[in-house]
Amino acid sequence: MPPELDQLSALQKPSTMDQEPTAADTIRQVAAEVLEAMFFTEDELAACEHGWLGSARCARIRFEGSHFGEMLLGVSVEATDPIAASFLGLEPMELTDAERGQVIEELSNILCGAMLSKLWPESKLALSSPELTGWQEWREGGALHRCFVIPEGMLAISIRLIAPTPDPRAPGPG
Amino acid sequence: MAYSVLIVDDSPVMRSFIRRVLRLSGFEVGECTEAGNGIEALAQLSAHPVDIILTDINMPGMNGEELLRRLGADGTLKTTPAVVISTDATNERIVRMIELGAQGYMSKPFTPETLRDELERVLGDRDASRA
Repeated sequence: MPPELDQLSALQKPSTMDQEPTAADTIRQVAAEVLEAMFFTEDELAACEHGWLGSARCARIRFEGSHFGEMLLGVSVEATDPIAASFLGLEPMELTDAERGQVIEELSNILCGAMLSKLWPESKLALSSPELTGWQEWREGGALHRCFVIPEGMLAISIRLIAPTPDPRAPGPG
Repeated sequence: MAYSVLIVDDSPVMRSFIRRVLRLSGFEVGECTEAGNGIEALAQLSAHPVDIILTDINMPGMNGEELLRRLGADGTLKTTPAVVISTDATNERIVRMIELGAQGYMSKPFTPETLRDELERVLGDRDASRA
């Protein structure tokens, strides 16, 4: 396992009163802050029952720099319209399909940026543009994952570190 | 006094959100215009100066860093305050954008109240320096 994955795994250990928050704590805290401040809704940690993810709207975002990895956000079908409508201040029936997708992309962008900034405030990272995808495209191995219930439906976040791709232009040994 | 605002962000839904939050915040907004990147922003500003610029960082065409550089090099526009709105809240990024000339920095998530407070602080500093 690459050292970076060991690092994230270590951050998943439960925290106590005298310890720094774990990565799982940070995901939960950031999700709550983002949903309350910018999407005007609330969330609670939920058991992972992933049947709903097959039809979920998902967005993936990659990051690189001092850390390399990716995050996947899944929003259940029934939650997509209320979340997008709340973000834009529109009625659900006024939404276009493009707007639904763009809001899910923006939500993934905000969540990922806020989580990384909290996990590694001294880091130097660049985020890719979010892209809409399906949860079936995601390999769960090595990921830190949490599901949340919101009044309108479900939300899932998975984040993992990956080994950086070697730069072929870099000089070899010797 | 109502302030004219230019929102610079490549995401149409983020521009709409910022407009909405400005309304909700109680900040006195006059004309509010939008641009999708730094190039569009500079073109608009050359014809229609504004009181304050709210800009994203990562944008295709011309990003927020380059926009701040160009604003700082422009004899007329360098006095227009710019506030960066970004998902990136790492210390290095914030310092870098302030060094490039940003007068304020808002990391997402933010509330209408925190946005209003930041804009009032930045415009208050500008008005004090002009007095």
